[in-house]
Amino acid sequence: MKSESLQGRHRATRLEIWRVPLIWLACLVLLAAGMAWLEPLFRWLQPDTRQVIYPHADFLVLLGRHLLVVAAASLLAVLLGVAAAILVTRPAGRDFLPLVAQFASMGQTFPPVAVLALAVPVLGFGTWPIIVALLLYGLLPIVRNTLAGLEGLDPAVHEAARGMGMGPGQILRQVELPLAAPVILAGIRTSVTISIATAALGATVGASNLGAPIISGIVNGNTAYVLQGAALIGLLALTVDSAFERCQRLLDARRA
Amino acid sequence: MIELRDVTKRFGTETAVDAISLRVAPGELCALVGTSGCGKSTTLRMINRLIEHDDGRILIDGRPVREFDEQVLRRRIGYAIQSTGLFPHWTVARNIGLVPRLLKWPKPRVEARVEELMTLLGLSREQFAGKYPHQLSGGQAQRVGVARALAADPDILLMDEPFGALDPITRETLQAELRQLQSRLNKTIVFVTHDMDEALALADRLVVMRAGRIVQQGTPLELLREPADEFVASLLGGDDRGLKETAIIRVAERMLPLSPRLLPQARVHRDATLRQALAVMFREHADRLAVVDDQDMAVGELSLRRLVENRREE
Repeated sequence: MKSESLQGRHRATRLEIWRVPLIWLACLVLLAAGMAWLEPLFRWLQPDTRQVIYPHADFLVLLGRHLLVVAAASLLAVLLGVAAAILVTRPAGRDFLPLVAQFASMGQTFPPVAVLALAVPVLGFGTWPIIVALLLYGLLPIVRNTLAGLEGLDPAVHEAARGMGMGPGQILRQVELPLAAPVILAGIRTSVTISIATAALGATVGASNLGAPIISGIVNGNTAYVLQGAALIGLLALTVDSAFERCQRLLDARRA
Repeated sequence: MIELRDVTKRFGTETAVDAISLRVAPGELCALVGTSGCGKSTTLRMINRLIEHDDGRILIDGRPVREFDEQVLRRRIGYAIQSTGLFPHWTVARNIGLVPRLLKWPKPRVEARVEELMTLLGLSREQFAGKYPHQLSGGQAQRVGVARALAADPDILLMDEPFGALDPITRETLQAELRQLQSRLNKTIVFVTHDMDEALALADRLVVMRAGRIVQQGTPLELLREPADEFVASLLGGDDRGLKETAIIRVAERMLPLSPRLLPQARVHRDATLRQALAVMFREHADRLAVVDDQDMAVGELSLRRLVENRREE
C-alpha cells in the first residue's frame, strides 16, 4: 500500500517536471494553428494594409520545416562536436586539441550570413546552405563544453578507474561521459537555442521556415508578418530551452 | 609475493626511482616511507603498471608484470588511494562491486560479495548501499574505497596514503580496523605514507626511501633501535624515537606475573602499549601498575624499571 502511494506520487512529480515545457508547447501549436483568428488584432495594428496574415504558407508547415532544419543541423553538430572533443582528449589525439579548440572558436566568429553567402554558390539555394551554416555555428558550444566536461574530471576518479582495471573504452562510457553529461548537455542547449534563432536567416537564401514571414515582412514593410514569425520563433526557442532545462535538472537529480 | 629487482624510473632527465630492490613476502604489510618526492608513490604505482618502469624487473608471484595484460593485472591487485577516487555518479554498492563486475562475476555473486564487504568494513547495508559518495563522511568514503579495493579478493593490496586526508581520530580508527582486517585476511600489502606513526603502527616492515633510493629497511623495532643514518633517525622522530618504540610494544609483552606484593591502585589494560602505560604512571605518580584483562581482573604487574629495561635480545 505504502509503496504504491509513493509510486503514484513519484509519477505525478514526473509529469509535473514537464509542465512548463508542455505549456510553452501548447502555446506554440495554438498560435501556429490559430494565427488566422488573431486577424482582428493585426488589422487593428496595421489598419492600412490589405493582407495582415502571412499568406504564402501554413504556419504549422513553416514550424515543422524550421524544426526539421534545426534538428538536422543540431544532430550533426552534436555527433561531430562530441566525437571531435572525445578524439582530442584521447592520448592518440592530444596533439590536435589546440587545433580543434581554435577551429571551433573560429566557427563562431564567422557571421552566419557570411556562411550562407559562401555556401549558396556551392550548395545552391534552399535548405542545405542553412544546415551547413547552423552546423558550423552550433559546433562551438558543443565542442567547448564537451572538452570542459571531459577535462574537468577529477584526476583521482580517472586514476582509480585505471587502477581498478577498467579499459579506455569502459572509462569513457561508464565514467567520463556520464560525469561530463551535464556540462555537455548545457552546451547542446546553448547550441540548439542559437540555431533556432539563426535558422530564420535561411529564408534569405530561399529556405522556407519561420524566417520567411519575417524576411517577407521586412521586404514589404509589413510589421504584422514580422511579428508573426518572431512570436513563433520566440515560443519555439522557449519550448525547447525549457525542455532542455528540465533534462538537465533530471540529470542533476540523479546524483543529488 | 612482490619482488622488485633493480627497478628504475626516469621522468625526463630526473631519476625518480633509482635501481631499488625490494621483496614483500606473502601476508606482509610493507610500508614505504619518506619525504615527499622520494619516489615512494612512483614505486607503488609501478607495481600495478599505472607507471611503467624503465629498467629492472617487477615480479608478482614470480611472473614479470610486463607479461600480464595491464587490465588483467590491475583487476587482481587491490588499489586504494588518498582521495578515494570513488565514482561520484555511482552508489556505494555499485562502487564496491566495480572489479567483480569487470571480472564478469554473475550478478547474485557480485551482490553477495558487496554485502559481505560492507559488513566487513562496518557499513550497514540499509544505511549506505544506496548512498552516493558525496553523502558520506571522509572516514565512510575511505571505508568504501578499501571495500572496493578488496572486492575481488585480491592477494595483493596497494594503498597510497589511504588515510592521509582524514582527521586524526578517524585515521586512528581506520588504522586499527585495517590492522584487525589484516590479521584476518593476510593480504600482501604495500602501503605508502608519510605519517611515521601510521607506518610504525601498521607495518611489519618499514622501507625508508630518499631521493629514489632505499636508505634502510627492516621491522619498525629494528629501525627505531638502529637507524642507519641521521636521516632515518630524524625521520623516525629524533629523540622521540624511544617514545615511538614504546608505542609499538604491548604491555602484555613486558608485564611480570603477579607477585605477592600488594597490587598498586593504578591499572593498565594488557593490550595497551608501553607508551600508554608510561602515561598512566606519569598521571598517577606511580612507578608500578597493575595489568588487567577485559574483565578488569589483575593478570600481572608492570614496573617502571621493567618498562625501561633493555630487552633487545628478545
